[in-house]
Amino acid sequence: MNQNLYQPIIGEIVDIIDESSTIKSFVVVPEKEFRFKTGQFVELTLPGEGEAPFTPSSSPADTKKMEITIMKAGRVTGLIHQCKKGQRVGIRGPYGNGYPIEKFVNKEVYIVGGGVGLAPIRSLFLTLVDRIKDFKAVVCRFGARTPDDFIYKKMLFGPWQKIAGVDMKLTVDKSDGKWNGNVGVVTTILKKDDVKIENAAAVVCGPPIMMKFATVKLLEFGFPAEHIYLSMEKNMSCGVGKCGHCMIGKYYVCKDGPVFTYDQIKGYPNIWD
Amino acid sequence: MEAVFISSLNPLLDAVVEEMDLYVPKKAGQHFVFTRYESSSEAAVEFNNIRACTPVKEFLFPLRELAAIIPEPAEPKDIKPFAVFGLKDCDLRSIEILDKVFLEEEFHDPFYAARREKMFIVSSDCFDPGESCFCNIMDGKPFSESGFDLNISQVKDGFIIEIGSQKGRDFVEKHPELFTDVSDAALAERDEIRAQTQKQLERQNADLKFDVPIRKIMEAGHDSDVFDVEAKSCIECQACTRVCPTCHCFYLYDTKQKDYFSKMKMWDSCMRCAYAAVAGGANPRKMLGDRLRHRLMHKLVYFLDRYGLQMCIGCGRCVDADAGGIDIRAIMKKLYEELKTKDDTKAKAAK
Repeated sequence: MNQNLYQPIIGEIVDIIDESSTIKSFVVVPEKEFRFKTGQFVELTLPGEGEAPFTPSSSPADTKKMEITIMKAGRVTGLIHQCKKGQRVGIRGPYGNGYPIEKFVNKEVYIVGGGVGLAPIRSLFLTLVDRIKDFKAVVCRFGARTPDDFIYKKMLFGPWQKIAGVDMKLTVDKSDGKWNGNVGVVTTILKKDDVKIENAAAVVCGPPIMMKFATVKLLEFGFPAEHIYLSMEKNMSCGVGKCGHCMIGKYYVCKDGPVFTYDQIKGYPNIWD
Repeated sequence: MEAVFISSLNPLLDAVVEEMDLYVPKKAGQHFVFTRYESSSEAAVEFNNIRACTPVKEFLFPLRELAAIIPEPAEPKDIKPFAVFGLKDCDLRSIEILDKVFLEEEFHDPFYAARREKMFIVSSDCFDPGESCFCNIMDGKPFSESGFDLNISQVKDGFIIEIGSQKGRDFVEKHPELFTDVSDAALAERDEIRAQTQKQLERQNADLKFDVPIRKIMEAGHDSDVFDVEAKSCIECQACTRVCPTCHCFYLYDTKQKDYFSKMKMWDSCMRCAYAAVAGGANPRKMLGDRLRHRLMHKLVYFLDRYGLQMCIGCGRCVDADAGGIDIRAIMKKLYEELKTKDDTKAKAAK
C-alpha cells in the first residue's frame, strides 16, 4: 500500500442540521466513494485549521453521503460549527473496528446512550433496523440533559419508537415542564428484566461518567464483561496506531477500537477519564 | 560474514560523500552529535567510542515534516540518498523498532519508508560504553551482527569493514582500490575487544541482572506507587522522549500556506500534560505519575505484546538527558525489589 496515510480525501458540506444548542449534524458528500462500517470513525479536517475524530451518525448503507454529528467542545469543533453549506473539508479513514453486528444476530441488542453519544448509536440503530428480523429485539435506553438536548428529536420522539422490534425509553436529567417521560440519569431507566441477559449484548455510548455508571449497572445485572461493548472516546489523532495519543494500556483506540468490550480494557487505569 | 580491511577512514568517507550526503559523529562537549561531512580536508573524523547523544530517528522521522497537502497529495519524492556513520548496535535496534511501527503492511508511512530506503547505514563497534549504557540488560550487544550495510570495527592498525547487505557489497565492489584483505590476527583482535566491552557492560550493570523477565517485573508493579514517587522530580521538559530513539509519538496539525493547506507531523511527548486530553476536557493521564507509568509500560510491556520486541534498547540517553534525575534503571530495580518482597511475603504466608 503506497497511498499516503495522512492524505485526506475532499468532501463538501451540503447540509447542516441544528440538533440542539451545542450540537449540529453536517451532511458531507465525499468526492470519491467512501464506505465505512457502523461504529468506525473518520478524521474530519477543516483545511488549515485542524482535524478531529468523529463516528459518522448515518447508515453505512448510504454510500453517497455521510452525516457527522458534532458537539461544540473545543477549538476545531467550534470552527466546524461556524461552517456554512459549501465548505470543503478533508476526510481520512474510515478507521477502527466498528460494532460487531454479526455477533448481535439472534440476540437482544441493549443500547444505552446519552448526549452526543447518540451519534454513533444512530448509525448502529439504522443498521440494525435495516435487518431487524435478524435480531431478537433492539432495546434502547437513551438520556439527555434536557428534552432540548436530545439530538435527532424528529425521529427519536416518534417514528423510531414505532418500529416493530424496537423497545425505546427516554429520560432527561432535568424536565422543561412539558416533558412527560422519566426524569433522572439514564441508569435510572435501566432495569434488570429489560432484556434476557443470557442472550443479549449491551452497547454503551455517551459521556464518560454515564458510560462508567451504565457499565457498573450492567455488571450488577449480571452482564458478562465480554458482552458489554463500549465506544471509547480518546484523543485519536493519526487514526492508524502510530501517534500514540489514544492509547489505553496496550490498545490503540483508533486501531483496536473504538469499540471495546469492557473485558478488554477493565484492567487499565483511568479508562473513564 | 564477509569482511575487508582499510587502514584509514578518510578515503572511505570521501568515497561515500561522492555518492550521497554523509553524516558523521562529532564531539560536542562530552557527547557526540551527527554533523554533515563535506570532505577529508576538514578536521579529522573521530571514531566514536559510544553512541551519539542524538537519536537516529532524526534521520528517518524528522522533528517536523510535511505529511499531506490539501487538496493535492504530497509525495515523498525529493528524498535523496544519505549515509550515516558511526551508528551503534543500539541505534540499529531502534531502527528495527521504528520499522515495526512505520512500515507495518496495512499502515505504511510513505515518508519514513522513502527515507529508510535511501539510508546507507555504516555502523561501528562500541568499545567504551558510557555509565548510562545498559544495552546488555535489554538483550543488546556493544557491536552489530545485522541491520547495517557496512560495519566498522577499529583495531590497532586500521579498521575491519564488514558487509551486511547487498547495498554494502555493491559499495565495496565499486571501490576495490580502497580495501585490502582482512587478516585473521585483526579478526581475533576485534573479537577480543568485543569480548572486553561486553565484560565491561556486564560489570557495570551487574545490579540490573534480574532473575525475572523485565516484562514480569513491570506487570507485577503496574499499580505501584514507585511511578508517582519517581515522577515527583520530573519537570516535564520532555527531554527523555526527545532523545529516546524508539519514542515515536507525533502530533498532526494543520497549517495555511499561501495557496494550499498542509498537514504537518511533529514529534510529540506522552509526558506532556495535555497529550491524551480530549476536547471535552477528559484526560486519562492528568497526573505525571500516570504518564511516567504509561511511558515505561509502553516500552517494556505493551510494545512487546504488539510487536514482539521491547521498546527500550538500553542506550541510556534518557538517563543522561533527564533534568529531573528520573532513571529507568532505578525504577526497574525498585519494582524488582517490590516484587521480591511480595514473593517473600507470600512464601512466608504459605509456610
